[in-house]
Amino acid sequence: MASKSLKNLTAPLSGNNPVIVQILGICSSLAVTVQLKPAIVMGLSVMVVTAFSNLVMSLLRNGVPSRIRIIVQLVVIAALVILVDQVLKAYVYDVSKQLSVYVGLIITNCIVMGRVEAFALQNKPWDSFLDGIGNGLGYAAILVIIALVRELLGSGSLMGFRIIPESMYIAEGGFYSNCGIMLFPPMALIIVGCIIWAHRSFNKDLQEK
Amino acid sequence: MKVNTNSNTYIIIYSVVMVVIVAVLLSLASLGLKERQDANILNEKQTQIVKALGEDPATVAYGDVITKAALLDASGAVVSEDEKEVFAALNDLKASFEAGKYPIFVATSGVVAPLYGAGLWGPIWGYIALDTDMNTVKGIVLDHSGETPGLGAEITTAKHQAQYVGKSIFEGEELVGITLKKGGADKGSLHEVDAISGGTKTCDGVSAMIQSSLNYYKPYFDAARATTDTAAEVEAESNVVNE
Repeated sequence: MASKSLKNLTAPLSGNNPVIVQILGICSSLAVTVQLKPAIVMGLSVMVVTAFSNLVMSLLRNGVPSRIRIIVQLVVIAALVILVDQVLKAYVYDVSKQLSVYVGLIITNCIVMGRVEAFALQNKPWDSFLDGIGNGLGYAAILVIIALVRELLGSGSLMGFRIIPESMYIAEGGFYSNCGIMLFPPMALIIVGCIIWAHRSFNKDLQEK
Repeated sequence: MKVNTNSNTYIIIYSVVMVVIVAVLLSLASLGLKERQDANILNEKQTQIVKALGEDPATVAYGDVITKAALLDASGAVVSEDEKEVFAALNDLKASFEAGKYPIFVATSGVVAPLYGAGLWGPIWGYIALDTDMNTVKGIVLDHSGETPGLGAEITTAKHQAQYVGKSIFEGEELVGITLKKGGADKGSLHEVDAISGGTKTCDGVSAMIQSSLNYYKPYFDAARATTDTAAEVEAESNVVNE
Protein backbone atom coordinates (compact mmCIF):
# COMPACT_ATOMS: atom_id res chain seq x y z
CA MET A 1 0.00 0.00 0.00
CA ALA A 2 1.47 3.31 -1.04
CA SER A 3 2.26 5.60 1.84
CA LYS A 4 -0.02 8.29 0.43
CA SER A 5 -2.99 5.93 0.46
CA LEU A 6 -2.10 4.83 3.95
CA LYS A 7 -2.16 8.42 5.07
CA ASN A 8 -5.83 8.64 4.03
CA LEU A 9 -6.50 5.88 6.48
CA THR A 10 -4.45 7.12 9.44
CA ALA A 11 -4.90 10.90 9.25
CA PRO A 12 -8.54 10.86 10.43
CA LEU A 13 -7.60 8.80 13.49
CA SER A 14 -5.90 11.75 15.17
CA GLY A 15 -4.57 14.73 13.23
CA ASN A 16 -7.68 15.08 11.08
CA ASN A 17 -10.21 13.35 13.33
CA PRO A 18 -13.76 13.93 12.09
CA VAL A 19 -15.22 14.61 15.53
CA ILE A 20 -12.54 16.49 17.44
CA VAL A 21 -10.74 18.27 14.58
CA GLN A 22 -13.28 18.60 11.79
CA ILE A 23 -16.07 18.93 14.42
CA LEU A 24 -18.49 16.77 12.41
CA GLY A 25 -20.98 14.24 13.71
CA ILE A 26 -21.20 15.84 17.15
CA CYS A 27 -24.96 15.26 17.38
CA SER A 28 -24.84 11.47 17.24
CA SER A 29 -21.81 11.33 19.53
CA LEU A 30 -24.05 12.88 22.18
CA ALA A 31 -26.99 10.58 21.50
CA VAL A 32 -25.59 7.05 21.46
CA THR A 33 -22.79 7.24 24.02
CA VAL A 34 -24.70 6.52 27.22
CA GLN A 35 -23.56 2.91 26.97
CA LEU A 36 -20.54 1.31 25.37
CA LYS A 37 -22.16 -1.41 23.26
CA PRO A 38 -24.45 0.80 21.14
CA ALA A 39 -21.53 3.22 20.72
CA ILE A 40 -19.34 0.45 19.26
CA VAL A 41 -22.01 -0.85 16.88
CA MET A 42 -22.88 2.70 15.86
CA GLY A 43 -19.20 3.42 15.17
CA LEU A 44 -18.91 0.30 13.01
CA SER A 45 -22.13 1.05 11.13
CA VAL A 46 -20.98 4.60 10.38
CA MET A 47 -17.63 3.21 9.21
CA VAL A 48 -19.34 0.87 6.75
CA VAL A 49 -21.54 3.67 5.44
CA THR A 50 -18.74 6.27 5.07
CA ALA A 51 -16.45 3.73 3.39
CA PHE A 52 -18.99 2.53 0.84
CA SER A 53 -20.62 5.89 0.17
CA ASN A 54 -17.12 7.29 -0.48
CA LEU A 55 -16.37 4.34 -2.76
CA VAL A 56 -19.60 4.58 -4.73
CA MET A 57 -19.49 8.35 -5.08
CA SER A 58 -15.86 8.25 -6.12
CA LEU A 59 -16.71 5.69 -8.85
CA LEU A 60 -19.56 7.90 -10.02
CA ARG A 61 -17.71 11.18 -9.62
CA ASN A 62 -17.12 11.87 -13.34
CA GLY A 63 -20.71 11.18 -14.36
CA VAL A 64 -22.59 12.95 -11.57
CA PRO A 65 -24.28 16.14 -12.80
CA SER A 66 -22.85 18.75 -10.46
CA ARG A 67 -26.20 20.53 -10.15
CA ILE A 68 -27.83 17.53 -8.46
CA ARG A 69 -24.76 16.03 -6.81
CA ILE A 70 -26.06 16.61 -3.26
CA ILE A 71 -29.26 14.74 -4.14
CA VAL A 72 -27.26 11.88 -5.65
CA GLN A 73 -25.10 11.74 -2.52
CA LEU A 74 -28.17 11.61 -0.33
CA VAL A 75 -29.72 8.79 -2.36
CA VAL A 76 -26.52 6.74 -2.21
CA ILE A 77 -26.06 7.32 1.52
CA ALA A 78 -29.72 6.66 2.32
CA ALA A 79 -29.69 3.43 0.30
CA LEU A 80 -26.56 2.23 2.13
CA VAL A 81 -28.01 3.09 5.52
CA ILE A 82 -31.21 1.18 4.75
CA LEU A 83 -29.12 -1.80 3.67
CA VAL A 84 -27.10 -1.68 6.91
CA ASP A 85 -30.33 -1.42 8.90
CA GLN A 86 -31.85 -4.43 7.10
CA VAL A 87 -28.72 -6.53 7.57
CA LEU A 88 -28.53 -5.67 11.27
CA LYS A 89 -32.20 -6.62 11.65
CA ALA A 90 -31.61 -9.96 9.98
CA TYR A 91 -28.34 -10.98 11.62
CA VAL A 92 -27.91 -9.10 14.91
CA TYR A 93 -31.50 -8.45 15.85
CA ASP A 94 -30.93 -7.54 19.49
CA VAL A 95 -28.27 -4.94 18.69
CA SER A 96 -30.39 -3.42 15.96
CA LYS A 97 -33.19 -3.06 18.47
CA GLN A 98 -30.88 -1.36 20.93
CA LEU A 99 -29.73 1.17 18.32
CA SER A 100 -33.34 1.68 17.23
CA VAL A 101 -33.75 4.98 15.37
CA TYR A 102 -30.08 5.89 15.48
CA VAL A 103 -29.17 3.59 12.59
CA GLY A 104 -31.59 5.48 10.37
CA LEU A 105 -30.10 8.71 11.62
CA ILE A 106 -26.69 7.81 10.16
CA ILE A 107 -28.11 9.41 7.00
CA THR A 108 -28.01 12.75 8.75
CA ASN A 109 -24.51 12.24 10.14
CA CYS A 110 -22.45 15.15 8.82
CA ILE A 111 -19.30 13.01 8.54
CA VAL A 112 -20.76 10.84 5.77
CA MET A 113 -21.83 13.61 3.45
CA GLY A 114 -18.91 15.80 4.55
CA ARG A 115 -16.36 13.22 3.42
CA VAL A 116 -18.20 12.47 0.17
CA GLU A 117 -18.36 16.15 -0.71
CA ALA A 118 -14.87 17.08 0.50
CA PHE A 119 -12.92 13.98 -0.51
CA ALA A 120 -14.61 11.33 -2.63
CA LEU A 121 -15.67 13.68 -5.43
CA GLN A 122 -12.03 14.65 -6.06
CA ASN A 123 -10.21 11.39 -5.40
CA LYS A 124 -9.79 7.86 -6.76
CA PRO A 125 -12.04 5.05 -5.45
CA TRP A 126 -9.38 3.22 -3.40
CA ASP A 127 -8.18 6.39 -1.66
CA SER A 128 -11.77 7.40 -1.01
CA PHE A 129 -12.59 3.99 0.44
CA LEU A 130 -9.62 4.24 2.82
CA ASP A 131 -10.61 7.76 3.75
CA GLY A 132 -14.08 6.48 4.60
CA ILE A 133 -12.71 3.65 6.75
CA GLY A 134 -10.33 6.08 8.48
CA ASN A 135 -13.02 8.62 9.23
CA GLY A 136 -15.39 5.93 10.44
CA LEU A 137 -12.70 4.58 12.76
CA GLY A 138 -11.82 8.08 13.99
CA TYR A 139 -15.49 8.66 14.75
CA ALA A 140 -15.85 5.26 16.45
CA ALA A 141 -12.75 5.91 18.59
CA ILE A 142 -14.17 9.15 19.98
CA LEU A 143 -17.57 7.53 20.55
CA VAL A 144 -15.95 4.71 22.50
CA ILE A 145 -13.94 7.10 24.69
CA ILE A 146 -17.03 9.16 25.51
CA ALA A 147 -19.13 6.05 26.14
CA LEU A 148 -16.43 4.59 28.41
CA VAL A 149 -16.49 7.65 30.65
CA ARG A 150 -20.28 8.00 30.60
CA GLU A 151 -21.18 4.38 31.25
CA LEU A 152 -18.53 3.92 33.93
CA LEU A 153 -19.35 7.08 35.87
CA GLY A 154 -23.06 7.22 35.04
CA SER A 155 -24.08 3.58 35.52
CA GLY A 156 -21.03 1.98 37.16
CA SER A 157 -20.83 -0.65 34.43
CA LEU A 158 -19.14 -1.34 31.08
CA MET A 159 -20.80 -3.23 28.20
CA GLY A 160 -23.60 -3.87 30.69
CA PHE A 161 -21.29 -5.66 33.14
CA ARG A 162 -21.01 -4.19 36.61
CA ILE A 163 -17.58 -2.68 37.31
CA ILE A 164 -18.23 -0.77 40.51
CA PRO A 165 -19.39 -3.36 43.08
CA GLU A 166 -22.97 -3.10 44.38
CA SER A 167 -21.69 -3.11 47.95
CA MET A 168 -20.00 0.28 47.47
CA TYR A 169 -23.29 2.03 46.79
CA ILE A 170 -25.01 4.17 49.40
CA ALA A 171 -28.18 2.06 49.07
CA GLU A 172 -26.17 -1.00 50.14
CA GLY A 173 -24.42 0.82 52.99
CA GLY A 174 -21.40 2.05 51.03
CA PHE A 175 -20.24 5.55 50.14
CA TYR A 176 -20.56 5.66 46.36
CA SER A 177 -23.31 6.93 44.13
CA ASN A 178 -23.55 7.05 40.34
CA CYS A 179 -23.02 10.40 38.71
CA GLY A 180 -26.49 10.75 37.20
CA ILE A 181 -25.64 13.84 35.17
CA MET A 182 -23.31 11.68 33.04
CA LEU A 183 -26.41 10.13 31.48
CA PHE A 184 -27.52 13.46 30.04
CA PRO A 185 -26.33 14.67 26.62
CA PRO A 186 -24.71 17.92 27.86
CA MET A 187 -22.07 15.87 29.70
CA ALA A 188 -21.13 14.20 26.42
CA LEU A 189 -20.51 17.63 24.93
CA ILE A 190 -18.32 18.55 27.91
CA ILE A 191 -16.38 15.28 27.52
CA VAL A 192 -15.91 16.03 23.80
CA GLY A 193 -14.58 19.43 24.89
CA CYS A 194 -12.14 17.81 27.29
CA ILE A 195 -10.94 15.39 24.60
CA ILE A 196 -10.37 18.28 22.18
CA TRP A 197 -8.47 20.17 24.90
CA ALA A 198 -6.22 17.21 25.68
CA HIS A 199 -5.73 16.42 21.97
CA ARG A 200 -4.72 19.99 21.07
CA SER A 201 -2.30 20.33 23.95
CA PHE A 202 -0.46 17.27 22.57
CA ASN A 203 -0.73 18.43 18.94
CA LYS A 204 0.67 21.95 18.97
CA ASP A 205 0.24 22.38 15.21
CA LEU A 206 -3.55 22.20 15.62
CA GLN A 207 -3.63 25.12 18.02
CA GLU A 208 -4.95 28.33 16.56
CA LYS A 209 -2.70 31.32 17.04
CA MET B 1 -18.05 11.92 -27.34
CA LYS B 2 -18.15 14.44 -24.51
CA VAL B 3 -21.45 14.32 -22.63
CA ASN B 4 -22.69 17.56 -21.13
CA THR B 5 -23.41 16.43 -17.58
CA ASN B 6 -25.30 19.62 -16.83
CA SER B 7 -27.92 19.42 -19.56
CA ASN B 8 -31.49 18.93 -18.38
CA THR B 9 -31.97 15.74 -20.40
CA TYR B 10 -28.85 14.19 -18.87
CA ILE B 11 -29.92 15.15 -15.34
CA ILE B 12 -33.41 13.72 -15.79
CA ILE B 13 -32.19 10.45 -17.30
CA TYR B 14 -29.50 10.19 -14.64
CA SER B 15 -32.02 10.67 -11.81
CA VAL B 16 -34.49 8.17 -13.24
CA VAL B 17 -31.86 5.49 -13.77
CA MET B 18 -30.40 6.10 -10.32
CA VAL B 19 -33.76 5.84 -8.58
CA VAL B 20 -34.67 2.65 -10.45
CA ILE B 21 -31.35 0.99 -9.61
CA VAL B 22 -31.58 1.96 -5.93
CA ALA B 23 -35.22 0.83 -5.74
CA VAL B 24 -34.38 -2.57 -7.25
CA LEU B 25 -31.41 -3.02 -4.91
CA LEU B 26 -33.39 -2.16 -1.81
CA SER B 27 -36.34 -4.32 -2.80
CA LEU B 28 -34.06 -7.27 -3.41
CA ALA B 29 -32.37 -6.79 -0.05
CA SER B 30 -35.71 -6.47 1.69
CA LEU B 31 -37.14 -9.58 0.01
CA GLY B 32 -33.98 -11.60 0.57
CA LEU B 33 -33.73 -10.79 4.26
CA LYS B 34 -37.43 -10.80 5.10
CA GLU B 35 -37.63 -14.47 6.04
CA ARG B 36 -34.74 -14.15 8.47
CA GLN B 37 -36.14 -10.94 9.95
CA ASP B 38 -39.60 -12.47 10.42
CA ALA B 39 -38.06 -15.51 12.06
CA ASN B 40 -36.14 -13.19 14.41
CA ILE B 41 -39.30 -11.31 15.25
CA LEU B 42 -41.35 -14.47 15.93
CA ASN B 43 -38.52 -15.97 17.96
CA GLU B 44 -38.22 -12.78 19.98
CA LYS B 45 -41.96 -12.75 20.76
CA GLN B 46 -41.91 -16.36 21.92
CA THR B 47 -38.78 -15.72 23.98
CA GLN B 48 -40.40 -12.75 25.66
CA ILE B 49 -43.53 -14.76 26.47
CA VAL B 50 -41.40 -17.46 28.09
CA LYS B 51 -39.40 -14.82 29.95
CA ALA B 52 -42.56 -13.13 31.22
CA LEU B 53 -43.50 -16.41 32.89
CA GLY B 54 -40.25 -16.24 34.82
CA GLU B 55 -38.64 -19.11 32.91
CA ASP B 56 -35.23 -19.02 31.28
CA PRO B 57 -35.72 -19.00 27.47
CA ALA B 58 -32.31 -20.65 27.07
CA THR B 59 -33.59 -23.87 28.63
CA VAL B 60 -37.36 -23.67 28.28
CA ALA B 61 -38.98 -23.60 24.84
CA TYR B 62 -42.17 -21.73 24.05
CA GLY B 63 -44.01 -24.98 23.33
CA ASP B 64 -43.05 -26.41 26.75
CA VAL B 65 -44.90 -23.81 28.79
CA ILE B 66 -47.65 -22.45 26.56
CA THR B 67 -50.56 -24.82 26.09
CA LYS B 68 -52.80 -22.58 24.05
CA ALA B 69 -52.65 -19.30 22.15
CA ALA B 70 -56.01 -17.65 21.61
CA LEU B 71 -57.71 -14.50 20.41
CA LEU B 72 -60.40 -13.08 22.68
CA ASP B 73 -63.23 -10.69 21.86
CA ALA B 74 -64.37 -7.79 24.03
CA SER B 75 -66.53 -10.07 26.19
CA GLY B 76 -63.59 -12.33 26.97
CA ALA B 77 -64.81 -15.22 24.79
CA VAL B 78 -62.32 -17.15 22.66
CA VAL B 79 -62.82 -16.41 18.96
CA SER B 80 -59.78 -18.16 17.50
CA GLU B 81 -57.15 -20.62 18.60
CA ASP B 82 -55.07 -20.50 15.45
CA GLU B 83 -51.50 -19.79 16.57
CA LYS B 84 -50.59 -18.09 13.29
CA GLU B 85 -53.52 -15.72 13.62
CA VAL B 86 -52.62 -14.93 17.23
CA PHE B 87 -49.03 -14.01 16.36
CA ALA B 88 -50.24 -12.01 13.37
CA ALA B 89 -52.40 -10.03 15.78
CA LEU B 90 -49.31 -9.41 17.93
CA ASN B 91 -47.47 -7.89 14.96
CA ASP B 92 -49.75 -4.89 15.07
CA LEU B 93 -51.08 -5.01 18.57
CA LYS B 94 -52.41 -1.47 18.52
CA ALA B 95 -54.64 -2.22 15.52
CA SER B 96 -55.69 -5.56 17.03
CA PHE B 97 -56.71 -3.88 20.28
CA GLU B 98 -58.67 -1.28 18.34
CA ALA B 99 -60.34 -3.98 16.26
CA GLY B 100 -61.41 -5.79 19.43
CA LYS B 101 -59.05 -8.74 19.03
CA TYR B 102 -57.10 -9.54 22.16
CA PRO B 103 -54.35 -12.18 21.97
CA ILE B 104 -53.70 -14.23 25.08
CA PHE B 105 -51.39 -17.14 25.87
CA VAL B 106 -52.51 -19.79 28.28
CA ALA B 107 -49.65 -21.48 30.12
CA THR B 108 -49.58 -24.49 32.37
CA SER B 109 -49.33 -22.13 35.34
CA GLY B 110 -51.20 -18.98 34.39
CA VAL B 111 -51.72 -16.69 31.43
CA VAL B 112 -49.61 -14.21 29.49
CA ALA B 113 -51.20 -11.04 28.09
CA PRO B 114 -49.48 -8.59 25.75
CA LEU B 115 -49.27 -4.90 26.62
CA TYR B 116 -49.11 -1.90 24.33
CA GLY B 117 -48.76 1.79 25.12
CA ALA B 118 -46.86 5.02 24.54
CA GLY B 119 -43.56 5.99 26.14
CA LEU B 120 -41.80 9.32 25.82
CA TRP B 121 -40.39 8.99 22.30
CA GLY B 122 -42.37 6.16 20.80
CA PRO B 123 -44.35 3.02 21.45
CA ILE B 124 -43.65 0.73 24.38
CA TRP B 125 -44.93 -2.81 24.74
CA GLY B 126 -44.44 -5.95 26.73
CA TYR B 127 -45.96 -9.09 28.19
CA ILE B 128 -47.34 -9.62 31.64
CA ALA B 129 -47.74 -13.09 33.12
CA LEU B 130 -50.40 -13.69 35.76
CA ASP B 131 -50.79 -16.66 38.05
CA THR B 132 -53.84 -18.91 37.77
CA ASP B 133 -55.67 -16.56 40.17
CA MET B 134 -55.54 -13.92 37.37
CA ASN B 135 -54.27 -11.44 39.94
CA THR B 136 -50.72 -12.14 41.09
CA VAL B 137 -48.01 -11.05 38.68
CA LYS B 138 -45.63 -13.89 37.82
CA GLY B 139 -43.40 -11.70 35.74
CA ILE B 140 -43.26 -8.95 33.18
CA VAL B 141 -41.23 -8.17 30.10
CA LEU B 142 -41.09 -4.58 28.88
CA ASP B 143 -39.67 -3.30 25.64
CA HIS B 144 -39.56 -0.05 23.69
CA SER B 145 -38.57 1.32 20.35
CA GLY B 146 -36.83 4.57 21.18
CA GLU B 147 -36.72 5.45 24.86
CA THR B 148 -33.60 7.24 26.11
CA PRO B 149 -30.75 4.79 26.76
CA GLY B 150 -29.75 4.80 30.42
CA LEU B 151 -32.99 6.53 31.45
CA GLY B 152 -36.38 5.46 30.10
CA ALA B 153 -34.81 2.48 28.35
CA GLU B 154 -33.95 1.06 31.79
CA ILE B 155 -37.48 -0.41 31.89
CA THR B 156 -36.03 -3.30 29.88
CA THR B 157 -33.51 -4.25 32.60
CA ALA B 158 -33.99 -7.37 34.71
CA LYS B 159 -33.51 -5.27 37.83
CA HIS B 160 -36.52 -3.09 37.03
CA GLN B 161 -38.71 -5.95 35.86
CA ALA B 162 -37.97 -8.09 38.93
CA GLN B 163 -39.89 -5.57 41.04
CA TYR B 164 -43.23 -6.56 39.49
CA VAL B 165 -43.08 -10.19 40.59
CA GLY B 166 -45.61 -10.91 43.34
CA LYS B 167 -47.55 -7.66 42.89
CA SER B 168 -51.27 -7.87 42.19
CA ILE B 169 -53.38 -6.11 39.60
CA PHE B 170 -56.78 -6.32 41.31
CA GLU B 171 -57.88 -4.42 44.41
CA GLY B 172 -61.03 -6.31 45.35
CA GLU B 173 -63.02 -6.39 42.12
CA GLU B 174 -61.39 -3.28 40.69
CA LEU B 175 -58.59 -3.58 38.18
CA VAL B 176 -55.98 -1.11 39.43
CA GLY B 177 -52.92 -2.38 37.57
CA ILE B 178 -49.44 -1.45 38.74
CA THR B 179 -48.16 2.09 39.15
CA LEU B 180 -44.53 3.10 38.74
CA LYS B 181 -44.16 5.58 41.55
CA LYS B 182 -41.75 8.50 41.35
CA GLY B 183 -39.67 8.73 44.52
CA GLY B 184 -40.08 5.03 45.29
CA ALA B 185 -42.95 2.65 45.89
CA ASP B 186 -44.67 2.56 49.28
CA LYS B 187 -43.28 -0.36 51.24
CA GLY B 188 -45.79 -3.20 51.30
CA SER B 189 -47.93 -1.81 48.50
CA LEU B 190 -49.12 -4.52 46.15
CA HIS B 191 -49.79 -2.13 43.29
CA GLU B 192 -46.66 0.03 43.18
CA VAL B 193 -43.08 -0.36 42.00
CA ASP B 194 -40.19 2.14 41.92
CA ALA B 195 -40.09 4.44 38.92
CA ILE B 196 -36.77 5.19 37.22
CA SER B 197 -35.24 8.56 38.05
CA GLY B 198 -34.82 10.58 34.86
CA GLY B 199 -37.31 8.33 33.08
CA THR B 200 -40.54 9.63 34.58
CA LYS B 201 -42.41 10.09 31.30
CA THR B 202 -41.57 6.57 30.19
CA CYS B 203 -42.61 5.20 33.59
CA ASP B 204 -45.92 7.06 33.46
CA GLY B 205 -46.40 5.45 30.05
CA VAL B 206 -45.75 1.99 31.51
CA SER B 207 -48.29 2.55 34.32
CA ALA B 208 -50.91 3.71 31.82
CA MET B 209 -50.07 0.83 29.46
CA ILE B 210 -50.54 -1.84 32.13
CA GLN B 211 -53.86 -0.34 33.18
CA SER B 212 -55.31 0.19 29.70
CA SER B 213 -54.10 -3.07 28.15
CA LEU B 214 -55.25 -5.25 31.05
CA ASN B 215 -58.64 -3.53 30.99
CA TYR B 216 -59.29 -5.21 27.63
CA TYR B 217 -58.84 -8.58 29.31
CA LYS B 218 -60.91 -7.80 32.39
CA PRO B 219 -63.99 -9.81 31.26
CA TYR B 220 -61.75 -12.84 30.66
CA PHE B 221 -59.98 -12.42 34.01
CA ASP B 222 -63.31 -11.95 35.80
CA ALA B 223 -64.72 -15.13 34.27
CA ALA B 224 -61.58 -17.08 35.17
CA ARG B 225 -61.55 -15.67 38.69
CA ALA B 226 -65.20 -16.55 39.19
CA THR B 227 -64.61 -20.20 38.34
CA THR B 228 -61.25 -20.70 40.07
CA ASP B 229 -61.75 -18.58 43.14
CA THR B 230 -64.98 -19.28 45.01
CA ALA B 231 -64.18 -16.69 47.63
CA ALA B 232 -64.14 -14.00 44.97
CA GLU B 233 -67.43 -15.34 43.67
CA VAL B 234 -69.10 -15.11 47.06
CA GLU B 235 -67.79 -11.58 47.50
CA ALA B 236 -69.08 -10.56 44.07
CA GLU B 237 -72.51 -11.95 44.91
CA SER B 238 -72.64 -10.16 48.24
CA ASN B 239 -71.79 -6.92 46.46
CA VAL B 240 -74.77 -7.43 44.18
CA VAL B 241 -77.03 -8.08 47.19
CA ASN B 242 -75.78 -4.93 48.92
CA GLU B 243 -76.71 -2.84 45.94
